[in-house]
Amino acid sequence: MSDAPLIFSPKPDRPAPADTVGLLGWIRQNLFKDVPNALMTLLGAYIIFVVTGAVVNWALIDAVWSAESRRECLDQVGRAGACWPGVAAWFKNLIYGLYPKDQVWRINLGFVLLVLWMLPLWMPKVTSKIGIGLSAVLLYPFLASYFFLGGEKALVWTALIALGLCGLIWVWSTALTETLVEKPLGSWVIGRLGVPEADERRQRQTKLICAALLFVAAFAFVSLWSLSEVRTRLWGGLFLTLVISGIGITFSLPAGILLALGRRSDLPVIAAMSTLFIELFRSVPLITILFMFNTMLPLFMPTGIEVNQLVRAIVAVCLFAAAYMAEVVRGGLQAIDKGQYEASSSLGMGYWQTTTLIVLPQALKIMIPAIVGNFIGLFKDTTLVSIIGLFDLMNMARAIGEDTRWLGLFIEPFFVVSLIYFVFCFAMSSYSMGLERKLATGRDRS
Amino acid sequence: MTRSKRMIEIVGLNKWFGQFHVLKDIDLTVRDGQKFVICGPSGSGKSTLIRCINQLEHHQEGSIIVDGIKVEPGGRNQSAIRDKIGMVFQQFNLFPHLSVLENCILTPTLGQGLPKAEAEEIAMTHLTRVGIDDQARKYPLQLSGGQQQRVAIARALCVRPQIMLFDEPTSALDPEMIKEVLDVMVELAEQGMTMICVTHEMGFARQVADKVIFMDAGEIVEANEPQAFFDNPRYDRSQQFLSHIL
Ligand SMILES: Nc1ncnc2c1ncn2[C@@H]1O[C@H](COP(=O)(O)OP(=O)(O)O)[C@@H](O)[C@H]1O
Ligand SMILES: [Mg+2]
Repeated sequence: MSDAPLIFSPKPDRPAPADTVGLLGWIRQNLFKDVPNALMTLLGAYIIFVVTGAVVNWALIDAVWSAESRRECLDQVGRAGACWPGVAAWFKNLIYGLYPKDQVWRINLGFVLLVLWMLPLWMPKVTSKIGIGLSAVLLYPFLASYFFLGGEKALVWTALIALGLCGLIWVWSTALTETLVEKPLGSWVIGRLGVPEADERRQRQTKLICAALLFVAAFAFVSLWSLSEVRTRLWGGLFLTLVISGIGITFSLPAGILLALGRRSDLPVIAAMSTLFIELFRSVPLITILFMFNTMLPLFMPTGIEVNQLVRAIVAVCLFAAAYMAEVVRGGLQAIDKGQYEASSSLGMGYWQTTTLIVLPQALKIMIPAIVGNFIGLFKDTTLVSIIGLFDLMNMARAIGEDTRWLGLFIEPFFVVSLIYFVFCFAMSSYSMGLERKLATGRDRS
Repeated sequence: MTRSKRMIEIVGLNKWFGQFHVLKDIDLTVRDGQKFVICGPSGSGKSTLIRCINQLEHHQEGSIIVDGIKVEPGGRNQSAIRDKIGMVFQQFNLFPHLSVLENCILTPTLGQGLPKAEAEEIAMTHLTRVGIDDQARKYPLQLSGGQQQRVAIARALCVRPQIMLFDEPTSALDPEMIKEVLDVMVELAEQGMTMICVTHEMGFARQVADKVIFMDAGEIVEANEPQAFFDNPRYDRSQQFLSHIL
């Protein structure tokens, strides 16, 4: 035995075998690994080729692009090609329902406003994102519903619309000051007005006065401006689908969170009530709930008060969606380790602080796929409102085939409607995948 | 030794989990600046005992008084008591969605209303004290186990506790990281913190403990100065236990 210790020197890294890396390696490993695998690949490729070929032929190559009626289409190509003129003639109705043609700009403007409202959420320098998100949920609906509905407005209604307008102005002024001078709106205004930094009371007063002035101006503006009434009976198509599912989605998440927390609560009464609600709405099909609300709700209402049919459908969808969301959220809450609650309590945080700062952020992050899955499901489930006679996108598509000129034209409208649904659902799904990826980076051991 | 004030006074403590009598007639007094080490076989009730002190568990009989405030089983006084006590867990329990610094300033800013800048300054002094100041912007899961446990200690210190409770702080660590955590705890002990540590690190017990408490089956079997306890355990259970771990 010698005295000097042996010296350990690690072996140098060798590259991985060439046929296991890179594109060629991947193809080899996954598509042509052995004979059965290669056969499956070829068979799959053949099926894809045949199916896409058939669809492209029907939808594009053999299709009829101009005709006056379904008869003309059939005379030209029979059933081998699609008859698009029917869909084209009804396209506006597919999107807007029976909304008066000269008022359709109100719907467009309403959705443009929503996009404008949400846009700052994606601007990198904007810091008040929570406030902007909250205002979109709480204030935008007033503005939008007036655009969509129009009609007479009483004092309170005018004030709410003005509040919505103030919200939009606030969102954009905040986004601008935070992006351009990197200061919150409040302190920028105060800086411009020359209020001393130290005087907190005067600062608060100034902010209040500014907000009040803005509100008065908005109020005056809103009272001057009036839109003709469009009854909800005329709402339909994609527009109606988006209204119902948009409200359902926005309502279901917060309501679902509250119900899930309620179900896990230590207070027996709250836990029992939440459980009852969730189980009740989850064990009944949405169609049944829609029917019940449609036919039975009016019976419980005091005479003279009539609840509009659309409102009944929306309430039914919201409650149903909230019950489902509650179970998704509960799943996420259960995934949070008990140690997180204990650490938080031992630091002296109370129930609401622990819930909002520690538990929900972690739980919601795990739940993103399930939540978005639920949103997508809800979006598609709204097709059921056609059962109670609302003309959503799906029902509108069916109406085309009942038009005397286009009698029997069902496949083409459903094809288009499927495409529209696909675009929306796929967008939601991709967004959720992107969000997961974004939230995953930097936080975990990589 | 001068008789300093009583920080924790436990008299006749009894606790049940359902029908299971987990703590039996516990009496314990910890004075300001004293360090107690609790050891004993798994399931003997060590964790439950220290968790009763800061109300993570509620006892049914007896009284616990922390720095003059009576711990009520109903949960009143709870926040006053938790402000006085910091706790470090076996599994670290850092908040993985917050950075190291955010973990440390969360309670001081939100619970105690400290301005953010001040809380950050305090947090940085504690992070420096445990040697993690250069990792303040990282997220907990990016750190090693030993580093995470040191952050957990710093986080507990940021609430400015007068008493620190440790529940097997090194049991989840790889052997090479145990020392870095124990070093921090020794330093804390030398600075005069009142501490109760559940641990089987007997070297640590010899070095800092004023008293070693041996628990078995929900009872305090023996409480003695470390020297006496290790060299001369009085009960058969303590002898057996020591022969297993030493
Ligand atoms: N929440 C609980 N409910 C029921 N039994 C429990 C609970 N927590 C601990 N116990 C039981 O109490 C006993 C003591 O547990 P614990 O204090 O964790 O022991 P130690 O920390 O000494 O290993 C064990 O038998 C354990 O199974
Ligand atoms: Mg334990």
